[in-house]
Amino acid sequence: MPSLIECVVALALVTGTFLTVVACIGLLRFPDVFCRMHAAGKAGTLGVSLILVAIGIFFAGAQVSIPVRAALAIFFQFLTTPAATHLLARASYLAKYPLAERTALDELQTYLPSRPHDTYGHE
Amino acid sequence: MSPFLDVITIVCLTALFVGAALCLHRILIGPDAADRAVALDTLTMVFIGIISILCMRWDSTLYFDAVWILTLVGYLGSAAIALYLEKGRIF
Repeated sequence: MPSLIECVVALALVTGTFLTVVACIGLLRFPDVFCRMHAAGKAGTLGVSLILVAIGIFFAGAQVSIPVRAALAIFFQFLTTPAATHLLARASYLAKYPLAERTALDELQTYLPSRPHDTYGHE
Repeated sequence: MSPFLDVITIVCLTALFVGAALCLHRILIGPDAADRAVALDTLTMVFIGIISILCMRWDSTLYFDAVWILTLVGYLGSAAIALYLEKGRIF
């Protein structure tokens, strides 16, 4: 019979792995680059954070520094991944990457009526 | 490591390797640079998970610093590709 700590570690591991794999599946199946960023930026961040929570709890009894380092790694993950995804989304919109055919609403178009860069040939 | 966590970590490792294969497939077929950049970002996350689970299996924290480095380097790579797409140059 596994102990309570092992159950918590296993739960965090399984949930985090599930979310990360869901992000990978979304990356493969979504129609355009903005939808793929949506999948990778949200589900992936939470999944990795849960896996880091699991390793922090697992090593909490043996080495005190590991939970602190895991918490800092989670902090950096939450700090950098949304910023990187936002930078990439803005850049690919400005570079005229095509939207999916099912796109119903393009709100950014009202703020950026003429996308400034025409050098990439996407229509 | 108890037999219970042994089974759990093996299952999670297998699932994460499948996810890494999916990311690599997107990198191969991705129509444009931004798709490949997003896939590379996700692949970095998958590698962080794989390294963490391997640390648990080997009962060693030697490789845990790689998690930090992967987080920061992944951000730098995405930011560089975004700057290149937006301005046509990096610096």
